[in-house]
Parts: sequence; C-alpha cells; structure tokens
Amino acid sequence: MGSLLFSYTRTNARSICTLLSHSRPLVFLHPSVRSPVDTGAPRVRCSSTREGNKFPGSYRNSGTKWKDFPSREKPPSSVFEAGTAKRKAELFKRKEGKDLAEGPEKPRRPKENDIPSRPLTAAEWKNRKESARAPQRFEVKMMEKMLAAGSAIDVAQSLLAYVATETGTVSYELLLRYLTLCVHGNHPAEVFDMYDIMRQRFKTLDTGAYSLFIKGFSTPSARNYGDAIWGAVQHGESTTAWELYEEMVGKGLSPNQETWQTLFDSGLSGQGNESKLQSILLHMRDNQIYPGEALAKSIRAWFESLPGNRWEGSWATVETSAFPWLSLRPPMSSGVCRSCRAQLESIQLSEEEYGQLKDRVMSDVIQGRDVFTKTTPQELGSFMSFVKKRPPFDVVIDGLNVANTSSKGNQAKTLLAVVSELASQGLRVLVLGRKHMLKSSRSWDRSHMALIQQKADCFFTENISEDDPFLLYAALHSGNHCRFVSRDLMRDHKACLPDSSARRLFFKWQRGHQLVLPNFLPGQRIRFQEILSYDTIVQTHESSWHIPYDVEGLERCSYEVPKQWLCLRSTS
Amino acid sequence: KGGTAEGLDLGAWKAVARSEAQGGAFPEAGGQEGEPSPLQASRELVEMWRQAGKLVPEHLAEDELRAFGELPTKSARKKYLKYLAIKEGHKKARKEKKASERAAKVSCRDPEMEEEPSGGRLRNTFLLQFWQRSMDALYNWRAAQAMQFGQPLVFDMSYEQHMSRREVDNTVSQLLECEGWNRRSADPFHLYFCHLRPGSAYLQELARRYGPAWERLLVTATEQPHVDLFPRDRLVYLTADSPHVLRAFDHNKVYIVGAMVDKSIQTGLSLANAKRLKLATARLPLDEYLQWEMGAKNLTLDQVIRILLTMKDTGKWEEALRFVPSRKHDGFYEAQRQTQQCGRSG
Repeated sequence: MGSLLFSYTRTNARSICTLLSHSRPLVFLHPSVRSPVDTGAPRVRCSSTREGNKFPGSYRNSGTKWKDFPSREKPPSSVFEAGTAKRKAELFKRKEGKDLAEGPEKPRRPKENDIPSRPLTAAEWKNRKESARAPQRFEVKMMEKMLAAGSAIDVAQSLLAYVATETGTVSYELLLRYLTLCVHGNHPAEVFDMYDIMRQRFKTLDTGAYSLFIKGFSTPSARNYGDAIWGAVQHGESTTAWELYEEMVGKGLSPNQETWQTLFDSGLSGQGNESKLQSILLHMRDNQIYPGEALAKSIRAWFESLPGNRWEGSWATVETSAFPWLSLRPPMSSGVCRSCRAQLESIQLSEEEYGQLKDRVMSDVIQGRDVFTKTTPQELGSFMSFVKKRPPFDVVIDGLNVANTSSKGNQAKTLLAVVSELASQGLRVLVLGRKHMLKSSRSWDRSHMALIQQKADCFFTENISEDDPFLLYAALHSGNHCRFVSRDLMRDHKACLPDSSARRLFFKWQRGHQLVLPNFLPGQRIRFQEILSYDTIVQTHESSWHIPYDVEGLERCSYEVPKQWLCLRSTS
Repeated sequence: KGGTAEGLDLGAWKAVARSEAQGGAFPEAGGQEGEPSPLQASRELVEMWRQAGKLVPEHLAEDELRAFGELPTKSARKKYLKYLAIKEGHKKARKEKKASERAAKVSCRDPEMEEEPSGGRLRNTFLLQFWQRSMDALYNWRAAQAMQFGQPLVFDMSYEQHMSRREVDNTVSQLLECEGWNRRSADPFHLYFCHLRPGSAYLQELARRYGPAWERLLVTATEQPHVDLFPRDRLVYLTADSPHVLRAFDHNKVYIVGAMVDKSIQTGLSLANAKRLKLATARLPLDEYLQWEMGAKNLTLDQVIRILLTMKDTGKWEEALRFVPSRKHDGFYEAQRQTQQCGRSG
C-alpha cells in the first residue's frame, strides 16, 4: 500500500503543477517495466470540432458551408471518415497561401537567463539573477525552464542550494517544481527524499494532503485514478487496481486510454480478469469510444496471449464497395471485414431506438425549451398535418442547402436538377425551403420553382424559422428507409440533445441516412457520397471481435469515425 | 545524498528545508484524529494553491468559501477563485491609488494654505460655488418631466430564469448605467422596468445597489408586462436577431430592450419572446453603417440607451453609432456608399 500512496504523491504534484502538460505516464519506479521510449509517442486525440470551422466561407448561414471545396481535389468518400476535416482544413490553408508565409524558425541566440549546462556556484547564480529581467521570480522561472527542457537535476539542486543560502528558506512553489522535475527525470531516491521533506515541512500534508488535494475536489480526475491504477498494477495488486477502476467508472468518469492500456497489459501476465477486460470493450461500445493505436496493440496482444481458444488478430479495413445508394439493401460484399470476411453490424437503427430518436428530436430539437426560438406552434402544427396527410417520403431535401451547392449558376436551377434526378428514379421527394424562395427573383426563378413543385412535395417555412428541424422530423417520420439530402453536418441540432446516448443515436442515424452532394456542376451527373452500410463501433459476434481504432498521427474530428479495424477471431 | 559536483554542496539546501519544518510554518491543526471541517479543508486547499503560485485570492470570506464549496465542478471552482483573485487585485490597486492620491494632495495643499490667508478677502462672484446638488436637482427635474411627457423606453425584465447569478448582477450594473446616462441627457426617456416581479433577483440586486435611492428613483418599475401598458402597434422589440432593420428613430414608438446579459450562447431568446407576443421587431443598422470586424452584434444595455438617446436628439446614425465599441468594427463605411445604401433602402 505504501507504493500506492507513493503514486499519489506523483499524482498530487501533477494536479497542482500546471507545467505538467504531457500525456505520457510518468516513469520513476520500474524503468525496466516500461521504458519511456515505447510510451513516448503522442496519443491520437480527437481534436475539437471547432477546428473545422475556422476557414472563411465555412460557416455561412444557409448551407453554404463547403462552398469553396475545389472540384479538382478528389473528395473523400464520406464526410464522416476520420481525417476529412483535417484534410479540408489543410486545403483551405493552402488556398490562402499560409504555408508560404511560414518561414523557417530563426535560431535563438543564447541569452543570460538560459538554462546553464552545469551546476553553478552561489556567486554565479547571484550574477545571473542580478542580470535577469525579472529578478523577483527568477528562481521559479528558471525552474520552470529546466522542467520544460528536462534538464539534469544537479543543476536544479545547485539553484536550490543557492536559494537556501541566500534567503534561508525554500518556498513551496519552488519545492513543488523541483519535485516535478525529479518525477519527470526518473529519480526515485530523490522523490522519496522530497516526499519526506514535504511531509515534515507542511503539516497539512500530514493530515492528508492527498485527501485535501484529491478528495478536496468532489471528484478526483480520471488521470488521478489512472496513475493510482498504474501504480497498483506495477506492484501486482490487481485487485486494488480493479477496485479503483470500478470506483472511477461508478463516479461517471471516463477512463483514459492509458489506463485501459495498463489494465490490458496487466492482463497479459495475470489471469482471471477476462470478463472484466471484455467489459471494458463493451464499455467502449456503449460510449462509442475508439481505442488509439497503442491501446489496440495491447488489446490484440492480450487476446493473443489468452490460453485455450487461440485468438488470432489482424489489422484490417472494411470493404466499402460502392452500391446504388437508393436500394435499401446493400450488396453483400459491402460492410465485410477484409480479413475474415465477416459481415459487420448494420448501421440501421432498431425499431426501439428509432422510436426513441424520433421522440427526442421532436421534444428537444424542435420544441426545446421554447417552441418560438425555432418556429411557431401554428407553423409546427401545419407542418405536422402536412406530413401526416401524405404517404411517407423516400428522400427529404434541404432546399436551400442543396441550392447553394454550386457557386455557379442559378440556385433554383441547381435545386431543380437534383429534384428531377431523384424524381426520375421514381422516388417520393419532399423539398423543404423558406417562403422567400417563392418570391420571384434572379436566383429563384418562378418557372423553375413551379417545376420543382410539380415533381416533389414542397413545404416552405417562414423566413425567420429554421428549416433543419423540419427536415429531421420529416425524414424520421417517413420511416427507416427515408434519406435526407444536405451538406450540413447538423452539429448544432445534435448539440440540442441533452444526453450523450441520444446524441450517439442521432449520429448513427445521420451516418446511415444523410446523403451528401459534395459538388455540383451544371450538366454533370449528380453523384452523392456513399453511405456506409455498416456501423463503426466496437462489436463482437460469437467468436470474433471487431474493434475500430484511431491511427496514430491522424486527427479525427468528433463527427468523424475511424477507418482502420482490429479484427480478432477465435480459431479453436 | 546529493553528492558534490565541482566542489558544490548540492545537498545542503535540504537541511535548510528540513530545519524550517521544526519552526513549524503550519501548527498542528486539530491533530490526526479529527477530520477537518469541509470549510477548513477548502481554506487549506486554497492556501496551498496560493503557495503553489496559482491565481487565487489571498483572503476568502466565509460566504465566498461556502459558495466555493458548493460549486459542482473543478473548472467552476478554478474560475470562481480566479474571479475572486482578480477582484481582490483590483480592490488592492484602487486602495493603493487612493492612498497615493491622498499623499499627493497633502503635499500639494501646503502652498495653497499659505496663499489663502494672504488673499483672504471675499471675492465678488456671480454665483455661489456650483455644487453637484444643483446638478442633481436639474436632472431630477428633467426626469420628472420625462415621467409626465417623455417617450417611454421599456426594459423587459423577464429573463431571470435564463441567467446565472453573475449575469443578473451584470445586467443590473448595466441598468444602473442606463439610468445614469438617461438622467443626464437633455431629453430623457421615461424608463419602464416591466415584468419586474417582487422578490426577483433583479429587484433584490437593484434595491441593494441603489439603496434608499431606489424608492426615489424617477423610473416606472412595474410587475405588469409591456403589452398591457401600451398598445401593441406602438411597441417595437429591439433584438439583434430581428430580420428587420431600424432605419429611422420613431418618436411615437415604444422601444423595448431585453434586460439580459448572455454569457453563454442562447440565441434567439428575445426574438422568440417577441414572436410569442406578436410584436414588431427591429435590429440596429450595425452592418449597414459599420465595417464589422469581430464580436457579437448584441450590445450592452448602456450602449443601446446611449445610441437611442443620440438618435432621439439628432436622428443621425453616424453620431449614434459612435457608442458601438471601436474594437468591434473597423470604422464607418464611406459617406458615398452610405448615401447609396440609404437611397436603396428608402
């Protein structure tokens, strides 16, 4: 238990020192067990969704979000595929010529307050301090720099020696930073020493600094737990580790990838935790979490180490052969794991999930706290009776979004082209728009609009109402076969759903039902991006597991899903 | 431990650090057995954070500490402490400034004191010294006139449930400024605080900030909604989300301003309100006159009232929109383009 406590010290230092921003587990007790090199690679993190919104023209009001997407670049096969947003961002950057502006970094000249390479004497430190720009906080700043550069601790020690002789005291702040440096630099003996000193020096640590710093918050962070679990695993106390893990999950914290990796790695040697480790995989499935590449490797190694039924793992992709998007049943070859030829789970929602989603969209997205923010009760009522009176639709079109696909050409003409293409395939089409589209203008030609109204059912909302919620409602009301056409990622509507399970449901439905028209040129054939027939989620089927994972170094937005899979099958 | 390198004793500081412990910067607090009270624990936590160099206040009052303990998340706690620390810093700076000003006054006064006795005769003046009191009387006279004959301007106080405590406080601060600017203008509005329920946070904060002056304030504070006080066709709800642009100031209309500060993003709240009551809406012609650069188009209440007061006096948007913060825009469109736009719109 002593060692466990000890790992709290580390946690403690980390939770209070803002400097510790790196994500790799700290190593100081058993360097042989886990060398810093093999965990040193940065983990793939899901970048913020805001990243994708920064470019000009990308966040205009009505569906013109991807207006500048150049047609010569090959568009990605799906907007929801990992890395699409990143690629797009780079494209826009290139277009703006930002790459050229970034010159090579100038080498910095060494300055007075750079970190010394060897321990200095008190006199030398004094010299440096006097010539520094801000002598008041010289020591702390210097220590921070050493921490950032990861310099040797003897230099830091010489600094502390100077401070002690000069002022006769060493501040808590400085000690804390030194402790951090020791932890980073992997000097266990020194850390023990510091632990002693801090316990002696600060009585509050005695009465339980950890309960203060960790219990002081109502919830310790997932990282605190992760570190403690790692500490327990390193000392073979797997029961403690699992207790801590369950406590963490019980508190509603989402474990780190590193924590899971620790547990899977520990499962390599110790037996008897099979069901628990598999429950981690089910947890990932329920919360739509994808492991990183390093964790995926650990999972594979654990499966392959299991005695008895021999598991075989392989890195795979899934066949996404293009199929006519209109047919409700995709051809058999689509959604098949390239490695084991097994069919992956379908993207279609179950009856129950579908009903749930429909209710939630109605109550949270359309009505919300106040019906008047998005529409009016009269309009909503008339729309609902409009939908009810008609037989279910096959396709619902976001009129304004589709009309703005092409920067060239008339908006009504673009819309008409898409509508007639869909109508010619014998589909029941609903076009949603706003009333201003009916007022004849240069871009909204009356004759085109009349043709659209002939070929499809139309509903026009007030100009200040939002049309997207109506689109969602109409598509959901028409049934599971109904698709909708829009390039809008609907993130704002997804955000209206208050809990994450409803959001995941919405996202799954969206991936299975949204048709994206990437670009449109007048006269060209209309091609939609393919809809994947399978769901990208951790899944198991009798004697196999399929686990999608994030490739290291590839950024993935929250609305994208990974492409790479880990295929595991039992051969016994 | 801490071997010597190049004749340096690298371990000596540890003895210093240890020896200090015996001095005991922290006295034995309560002993091991008694669990410290949660308040005491959070006070110690904050103290250790301060020692670790975080941005936290030096002194924490009991109620602040309690509020700190009640916050649900870690980030909320950090934000609250940062807010308190910044507030404390401002207070300290103000105190220091006052002290230095006082010192400067004392040192300046000496020569004057010598001067006065020498020229000690009464001067022949047209006026007695003009005191602020006289100005106040004038302003109140004007405000009283506005209460009788002035154009109404309504603040809609029905947004309390959409705001946090901090936001309500900020709203009331802005209302205070509004009332101040209105009182000092040449032709004030008759201010109405509508939907002001007794016991609401708005009212509590207004009464706290104004003190006894709240009872004497020359505004109409009422629980009634604006639609009951005025004919519907005279009401215009000002909201940045409105599709209609306010082209000219109409002296016969009653403009409504939502008394709300929105620090999160709750778009379309006031527009929804106006839609529900079927009121006319309008937004200020910011895009039409200013090259907007950054920031939200919703302005603070005091900026809005200054714009409206100027429009009421002069009818010129160029004058009125000077009160839009300059960081938000890159200047006015050139006069030539403006006349074109006005021509097209009118």
